Amino acid sequence: MNLALQFLANGLVTGAFYALSALGLTLIFGLMRVVNFAHGEFFMLGGVLGWVATAVLGLDFATAFVLVVAAMGVLGWLVDRFMIERVRGHGEESTILLTIGLSIFLANATLYLAGPAPMKVPAPLTGKPLFLGPVVLTKSRLAAVAVSVVLVLGAYLVIHRTRIGRAMRATFQDAMAAKLSGIRTERIFAATFALGTMLAASAGMLLASIYSAQASVGGLVSLKAFVVVILGGMGSFPGAIAGGLILGLSEAFWGGYVSTGTVDIVGFVMVILILLFRPRGLFSLNAQRA
Amino acid sequence: MSARTVLAVSDLTAAYGNATALHGVSLEVREGETVALIGANGAGKSTTLRTISGLLAARSGRIAWEGKDITNWPADRVVAAGLSHCPEERHVWPEMTVEENLRLGGYLCGSRREVDRRAALAFGRFPRLQERAGQLAGTLSGGEQQMLAIARALMSEPRLLMLDEPSLGLSPKMAEDVFAVVRDINRHGVTVLLVEQNVHNALSVASRAYVLETGRVTAERNAGDLRDDPDLLRTYLGG
Ligand SMILES: Nc1ncnc2c1ncn2[C@@H]1O[C@H](COP(=O)(O)OP(=O)(O)O)[C@@H](O)[C@H]1O
Ligand SMILES: [Mg+2]
Repeated sequence: MNLALQFLANGLVTGAFYALSALGLTLIFGLMRVVNFAHGEFFMLGGVLGWVATAVLGLDFATAFVLVVAAMGVLGWLVDRFMIERVRGHGEESTILLTIGLSIFLANATLYLAGPAPMKVPAPLTGKPLFLGPVVLTKSRLAAVAVSVVLVLGAYLVIHRTRIGRAMRATFQDAMAAKLSGIRTERIFAATFALGTMLAASAGMLLASIYSAQASVGGLVSLKAFVVVILGGMGSFPGAIAGGLILGLSEAFWGGYVSTGTVDIVGFVMVILILLFRPRGLFSLNAQRA
Repeated sequence: MSARTVLAVSDLTAAYGNATALHGVSLEVREGETVALIGANGAGKSTTLRTISGLLAARSGRIAWEGKDITNWPADRVVAAGLSHCPEERHVWPEMTVEENLRLGGYLCGSRREVDRRAALAFGRFPRLQERAGQLAGTLSGGEQQMLAIARALMSEPRLLMLDEPSLGLSPKMAEDVFAVVRDINRHGVTVLLVEQNVHNALSVASRAYVLETGRVTAERNAGDLRDDPDLLRTYLGG
């Protein structure tokens, strides 16, 4: 029983991290419909740059975080304006090939410059773990969960309650109509891609302070983020949270009771089932309309 | 005709890739008029509107709006200058509510209060939309979507409204309603450039008409003349 509670706590924490890691992809793939295979590398770069800023340059975590996220925003903007923009409207294959190419480049450039060793970002919070009854949790994990919640909520509010958020949704649903209303769609595309890149990098740096950053981690992060986005329903932030928690919990219990070696299969089996039976995501009201 | 010319298109050419769609279109619209652009499917009516509103680049020629050269201005500048284009097939944002669709039509208007005022006016004009304000636009009927598209296009308070086939796919009754709205908009001082397949409806609201054939203007007539002379109409439209 105690073990089950610990699995539950671990699953919720991992699930919150999955939701956070997938947030940028919810925006870029879910809403903007760019199949972005470089998502995991943006996440990875957030961690590696965070390590450079803190462990190498000696900045404090908060300053480093702001700088890294800003730099990644610029990178995202440039990638959209100079790469994605050229293939926009030419079908998904071009975008997929482009972002796969970009991901290979980013991963190997990082491997070349920083090497394959794990890079640990010093955690902003230290101290004894908390004991909640039989459950053990570290403060930095709880803080990271809190930051995840804030970022998810913030992204949701931006998309649904602000002028630029409405312009984003309009642009992705019908770019021509958006142009005719005076929206400069090319800026909206670039801003959304930049925002998604910043969210991916935030997640990468936060999680690099709990686990560690590694040049080769991008592929797995991308795949799991796609799992979360598809589980939750394309472009839905509440869905992404639910998708993250479901994935985190299933993996925690599968790893705890069945076998740890096969944990990574769980998500993919779920995605296959979802795509077969509820192609618009677990929580869509109209699963038929795919 | 004493009214001044507000829109003057001269010798406009435009193409999709290598396929030229407009081979030198010239037309004029005067202040307060409703002008119809008629012609067979594929004649280049929509392309003409798209080139004016900045969705498609002009290859050559000139578009002048109130004396200013607006050729190849980006779409947002064209809207800001007072032209609004309500596109063929409505193009409402299906996953956004009726109210969100409407308010986004006033995207370039900096003042929230002013957008409120315009939205209230639109809801007054289209009570059906008011009833459905919170509903997703994709769930509206075709006629309601057309009304929403027109209401959205009016949210920028244009001086020229370009309507592309507003009666397409609507029942005759619904089409009647749409044309009543067009007449009403025009009475309120908005100049209208109307593209229609349904020539009889178009001629019932327009004062003049241009006939377009494979990317060229082949005639310009008073709407009354065309209406009263079916033979003339047949020569132009080949129907
Ligand atoms: N998106 C497009 N791509 C390529 N050709 C197009 C496109 N839209 C229209 N055309 C072509 O341009 C010509 C004019 O089309 P259009 O302006 O839509 O005619 P209309 O509105 O009078 O029916 C036609 O030959 C049509 O096939
Ligand atoms: Mg047309």
